[in-house]
Amino acid sequence: MVAVPSPLDRKLLRDLWRIKGQARAIGLVIAVGVMMLVMMSGLVNTLDETRRTYYDRYRIAEIYVPVTRAPERMLDRLAAIPGVAAAESRVAGAALIDVGADAMPVRARALSIPDAHASRLNDIYLTAGRLPRIGRSDEVVLLEGFARARGLALEDTLTATMNGAKHSFRITGLAQSPEFLYTTAPGELVPDDARFAVFWMRRTALSAAYDMKGALNEALMSLSRDTNAQAVILAADLLLADYGAAGAYGLEDLPSNRFVSEEIRGLRATSASVPPIFLGVAAFLLYIVISRMVQAEREQIGLLKAFGYSGTEVSLHYLKLVLVIAVAGAVVGSVAGIMSGSGLAVYYQGYFKFPFLVFSIDPRSFVIGFAVSILTASAGSLFVLMRVFRLTPAVAMRPPTPPDYSRAFDLARYLHRWLDQPARMVVRRLTRYPGRIAGAVVGIATGLGLSVSTLTTVAGFDKTVDLTFNVMDRSDMTVAFTSALSSKTLLELQRLSGVEHAEPFRSVPAVLRNGTFSYRGNIEGRPERPYLNRVIDGVQRPVAMPPQGVVLARPLADILHLEPGEILTVEVREGRRPTLLIPVTGIAETLLGAPAFMEIGSLSRALKEPGRISGALLTMDEAETENIRAAIKDMPKVAGVSLKEDARNALIRLMNEGPGSVRYIMLGIAAIITFGIVYNAARIALAERIRDLASLRVMGFTRGEVAFVLLGELAVVTLIAIPLGIAMGFGLTCLIVKGFSTDIYQIPVVFSPRSYGGAILAVLGTSAVSALLVRRDLNRIDMIAALKTRE
Amino acid sequence: MPDTTQQTPAFTARGLTKTYGTGAATVHALRGVDLDVRQGEFTVLLGPSGSGKSTLLNILGGLDRPTSGTAHFKDTELTGMSDADLTRYRRDHVGFLFQFYNLMPSLTAYENVELVTEIAENPMDPAEALALVGLDRRSRHFPAEMSGGEQQRVAIARAVAKNPTVLFCDEPTGALDSTTGRAVLGVLADVNQRLGTTVMIVTHAAATAAMADRVIHFADGAIREIVRNETKLKAEEIEW
Repeated sequence: MVAVPSPLDRKLLRDLWRIKGQARAIGLVIAVGVMMLVMMSGLVNTLDETRRTYYDRYRIAEIYVPVTRAPERMLDRLAAIPGVAAAESRVAGAALIDVGADAMPVRARALSIPDAHASRLNDIYLTAGRLPRIGRSDEVVLLEGFARARGLALEDTLTATMNGAKHSFRITGLAQSPEFLYTTAPGELVPDDARFAVFWMRRTALSAAYDMKGALNEALMSLSRDTNAQAVILAADLLLADYGAAGAYGLEDLPSNRFVSEEIRGLRATSASVPPIFLGVAAFLLYIVISRMVQAEREQIGLLKAFGYSGTEVSLHYLKLVLVIAVAGAVVGSVAGIMSGSGLAVYYQGYFKFPFLVFSIDPRSFVIGFAVSILTASAGSLFVLMRVFRLTPAVAMRPPTPPDYSRAFDLARYLHRWLDQPARMVVRRLTRYPGRIAGAVVGIATGLGLSVSTLTTVAGFDKTVDLTFNVMDRSDMTVAFTSALSSKTLLELQRLSGVEHAEPFRSVPAVLRNGTFSYRGNIEGRPERPYLNRVIDGVQRPVAMPPQGVVLARPLADILHLEPGEILTVEVREGRRPTLLIPVTGIAETLLGAPAFMEIGSLSRALKEPGRISGALLTMDEAETENIRAAIKDMPKVAGVSLKEDARNALIRLMNEGPGSVRYIMLGIAAIITFGIVYNAARIALAERIRDLASLRVMGFTRGEVAFVLLGELAVVTLIAIPLGIAMGFGLTCLIVKGFSTDIYQIPVVFSPRSYGGAILAVLGTSAVSALLVRRDLNRIDMIAALKTRE
Repeated sequence: MPDTTQQTPAFTARGLTKTYGTGAATVHALRGVDLDVRQGEFTVLLGPSGSGKSTLLNILGGLDRPTSGTAHFKDTELTGMSDADLTRYRRDHVGFLFQFYNLMPSLTAYENVELVTEIAENPMDPAEALALVGLDRRSRHFPAEMSGGEQQRVAIARAVAKNPTVLFCDEPTGALDSTTGRAVLGVLADVNQRLGTTVMIVTHAAATAAMADRVIHFADGAIREIVRNETKLKAEEIEW
């Protein structure tokens, strides 16, 4: 049996059809709010779950123990440390890969895989080809990312310098590794597949290349559940102290993992802060729109009551109407969220180099999305319904009392001389209904705020690039040495023809501590007044390196909870490995990484290694670039050369391809929401005033003149909304930017006139389009019908 | 009144038809109406709901277009006019009055009248128009502060203030009690006599007919009968 819908339900369907344009706009706003929430939480969950599964499946080590050289038997001693579940030894070496006669060699890491079996820990995932044959010393497996970036394929030849000797290898396989999801060029923070390589060889072959027969120079360990990693690290360092232990560290300090964790954390922060803002804005709009929509139904509500429908029945009827819109919006948003979330995850799969994806969605996001949509929609309608119910049904049966303008503050009277009647109508309505107007103003301002903040965030990314590479780093090229060299090398660089200026730097790997807070990073030594590699403060003034003490980057100071005047503990991780206590003398704004700076001489004194530098920054005559490159290539001990242009491009790529890319999605969503608000505001104004407008038409006012009365209001509302929207935009920017900033780069809150101008233009454009759409509806007014019915 | 008004008809309608909808749902609102209306004439259109009287009024008033047939205002053909021309026509020549007064709630009585005088070619002073309907003391009041009859009188003042050639009234007393209704009709008759404005009233109230020069009876979209009134009653004399 088919149930016959009740008359009220049929009315519901027809009402929905009647307001379909508006319903679509409202539904769309809800949908994008919910979509953003579902998409971001699904994305973060999927990435987290995928990383966990990838690590599990390929048995990533939890502890890394680098040493100079230890006998293989020590592995059993390591395995015997309480809490160690598995231990694996390997040989690791630094190599330089020759990538062509005119290019600088690329720094690489060579790693061993066991002769007889797969790696027990840190296994690799072969994407093409095969592992090297046992006993073959000329076969390697190459990291796929590098191969792809350099256009290398299976069976190609790879030439590498290892331990001072040149070798030629055949590439037999390409692999991905959970240990190298992220690779950077030496001395840089930003990943670049093309400028760092990893290759794997059989243990025997690699041992021969590095004179490591019967020895290991790195041990990997996995832990049993609930083992204190710190205790194992201490035990391992103690055990291998005689073999040049360089300091064991945990997975959390593995650069690749740290980067990936940081990126996922950044995404999580973004997903925790940005979608709620969007959903909140959508909910607020929903409230305004729905309350005004129900308000417009006043007379029908009265009539229904006059027919004998109870208040509850009528309330349910209107609740159903808004719920249909809210639920439909939430459903569309959820589906779109799942689809876009998995689409984004597939995109990030390539970015993070995951071999597979474990899709995982967050059920909470649906619950929150639906609950917020439904609650705000219901609240918006109930609030109005309650007011409407105070009217007796009879009110609806009488000719309507015109809205009373006599009690309102009459601005128009004071402006009498300058206003004609249509303008007076606009002004009177603004002053008579400050609440309604305020609602529309706040709505449009929120839309503008959203646009402003997303555009400003986008500008913030550009600002990071600009500040980093134009204000702070003013060099053309950076040369990094394999180990710290005498400062005489600087003179050699300066003497090269075409080099205009050379500035030394010292970079010392260290664990930075303050009580229980620690950070594995570098102490950066700079000249007292750096010229090429400047540090700047909050207002972009260069910061001089103090003769004593250390200057911390703001994010590092936050991580370590340090303020100027307090003492930083530095556990140096190279050379004699001293532990230093250094006072913090300043905090600097940096946008890349979380470095600690010292004056280079003061750093050398603290290390008791005077006159040593890790590399230099150069400016040069552009015409001489190739000659300088060639000359430096032939210098011994040069680990890498990076052109600022490459580093800059790598950062832009990181921002555009990494989590930062979400900013463009946000921009689109902000545009949709803004349009939804403005269009609805205009549409509702039309619905409320259709009689007045029809009267004007009948009296002989032209379409343009009538449109002025309606759209004049929209124009004034939009104009009032602009300053408010700018203020809201600034606040929202602070929230959003915080979510986007990571350990690797920080996004500043910039005041970019272009973003603000762009957002204002976008809102004005949206208003204009909405005005045109509404004007189209206005032209279709059935004058007679509008006049003969009551309001 | 100059005699010329007796010769040139203000309106000429020939074979006017108007249908709404298509197929089975087609509604014939007008089925071929021929009519001449003299300038300065006071006409009442009577008939049941849906008989076509309002449709005729709307077509002559430039609010609607016929499906076929022609309508002329003096020498100008209304039926061929563009939308902009119709707007111009309403602006310059036509005053309207509806059952619901359709005043602008945000404008005072005076300003409601001024709304029209601002755009009209040859308007009267708004104060004069309000005095004509006996509301000169209420000119600073908003619609919400006035009774229904007062609002309708403001609507009349607004309609006549432009010195229209014709005043179309669709159920002008429909929402008013008898006393107020009579007062409103009195104002209309007064305007007709003093300014020579052609007045056409659509109404259900048969008693109104006693005031008219001619009464046009409508039924089923056509004119059934036209009755000339030899003795016109004054508004206050009619039985409600």
